[in-house]
Amino acid sequence: MTTVEVHDPRSDPEPTGWRRFQKKARLLPVWDYRLLGIEAWVARNPPVLAVARQGEEAVGAFVAMVCRTVRERAYAPPPDTPRRGLAPRWVEVYLPALSGHSACVFLPGVDDDRKRAAVLAFERAVVDRLGPGLLGVVYRAVDHDLGPVLSGRGRVTREIDPVAVLSDVGSAEAWERGLPDTLRERLGAGSLRVESAAARADLDGRELATLLNDHRARQDARAWREGQRSRVGGLHLDTRSRIAPSYLDALVRRPDVVTTTYRTAEGDLAAFSVLLDHEEGAALQHFAARPGSGLWVDACARAVRHTADRGRPLLTAGRTLLDRKAALGFGTRPLVSVAVPRPFLGRRGPSR
Amino acid sequence: MKTGIGRDSLRGMVKTGVDALWRTAYRRVVRSAFATVPFYRERWALGGRTEPRLGSGSAEGAVSTEDLVRAAVDLAPLAGGPTGFDPVRGLGGLLPLARPTAGDGLLVALEHPGARPVWDLPRGWRGCLVDAEVDDPALPEVGAALGAGRPVVAVGPDKALDGFTDRVPGGDRVHRVPRRTLDRLDSGPYGVLHDPVLGYLGVLRDCGLWHLDWTRVYARRTRAGLAFTLLRQRSPRLVDALVGGGVPGRVEWCPRHATPVVRTVAG
Repeated sequence: MTTVEVHDPRSDPEPTGWRRFQKKARLLPVWDYRLLGIEAWVARNPPVLAVARQGEEAVGAFVAMVCRTVRERAYAPPPDTPRRGLAPRWVEVYLPALSGHSACVFLPGVDDDRKRAAVLAFERAVVDRLGPGLLGVVYRAVDHDLGPVLSGRGRVTREIDPVAVLSDVGSAEAWERGLPDTLRERLGAGSLRVESAAARADLDGRELATLLNDHRARQDARAWREGQRSRVGGLHLDTRSRIAPSYLDALVRRPDVVTTTYRTAEGDLAAFSVLLDHEEGAALQHFAARPGSGLWVDACARAVRHTADRGRPLLTAGRTLLDRKAALGFGTRPLVSVAVPRPFLGRRGPSR
Repeated sequence: MKTGIGRDSLRGMVKTGVDALWRTAYRRVVRSAFATVPFYRERWALGGRTEPRLGSGSAEGAVSTEDLVRAAVDLAPLAGGPTGFDPVRGLGGLLPLARPTAGDGLLVALEHPGARPVWDLPRGWRGCLVDAEVDDPALPEVGAALGAGRPVVAVGPDKALDGFTDRVPGGDRVHRVPRRTLDRLDSGPYGVLHDPVLGYLGVLRDCGLWHLDWTRVYARRTRAGLAFTLLRQRSPRLVDALVGGGVPGRVEWCPRHATPVVRTVAG
């Protein structure tokens, strides 16, 4: 018997055994319950954490964004706001700040039947929680392997932009030698002062967030001009929120997060990158720079060096600029999105 | 037999009405700031404050103007808006109370170059910004207005007012309104309460009390000092700002005008 509990990280205590599950499921720091709480408070479409259990043991987890609209100009109401059951909403199972990684995870060794049971239980729990206004659930950017578990009758599956992955790095020197000359020339930061370390307590979250949100806004505008794949029916379906200073404050202070900053001689922040370090693989989560800085290649090279030096098996680097990342030796890992309309939620089982 | 409402009863009713409107406007601004403005959302949600007047920490939810300046980019609501501060905000609205003058006059705001023009002047009035430390190109216009017998009101710090009235021909006919900060309120006879981030907050009226511009500005007492909120400015949103680094004081009601006034320890 699989049960699913839904926890609102803004108001509910951390689920029992959550840290043990995080460790066993080898989750990246973005799954930290406190970070999820900060993210939820400053989100237009706040995430909740659903934990699937078989007996007492947690076997799977979902980060589910409760979305009200794509054009909302306000944050989500606080958790104690009286619920309007008929207000249209949908759920996106998605890690908005780490889009190349699945927000639907299971312990190693859980077979597909148990995963399907957990998915159905999750959908029923979401229906119970959100009431008649729920339009459906979208599993966004999940690993290709999970496609068969999530798909089935009435469920729409679509392959989306893959995530860039660099595996079997070997040595950083060998990787650099393999780069085209034009890219190798762009390594280094010129006269900028570069500092890179884990658990950075010397950084100002607001300074980082301002640079990052500006960078993301430029990136989004470019993607929109170039016809990004989230353009559906002429709508700009962006359910993400700005990254809040307090979120970055908490993130960069973690011992498993490596932050690299580039500063001018005057001390102004020219660029920074955030690398999530994990024994299963590192993830280059954020990079932000002033326009035209040209520091992305150097930030990427530092991430590769860290991955190689620590002996991590792979490095992921997001879903954008895949052609440029290919020039740096990155391959891709396929991702799918699965949309489940309300009538099929938890009722008709996914195909076997 | 005497019938009707006495003057004191009328003042009491006015005070009750003004108080209710004033607090309602403040609560609306706080709720809106929490729902739409990144800076307050983050600060109050993570500090445990989601309702007006349920303060947290030593400052009861209030924030220094220095912190607000540092966070300027996050003071615009999610829908967007300007993030620059307007040091002359509110001056036009206070002018009739600051120095009642008849006719179509000229308001001279003694500000540093780069300040925005005063935009909320009473009907018939014109305004100009003058840098008192240089021979500003607007000085001939001021001289012409004085020569034509139009009233000219100059607002600025004492030193700037002295410099301005010395430079302009007929400067002795300029109506001076000195600018005061919250920690240096005096007994007048004229004056406006100013903060470089929030703009003009109040005025010294003929009753001798420092009146808040209560339709645009809310003030409340916190442990860290008097905290001010701009009730009508959408962006940048300024809520519970500790003007002057936090000046101890209290908000009272004027017995003559039945509207809110501030009293500070220094003032």
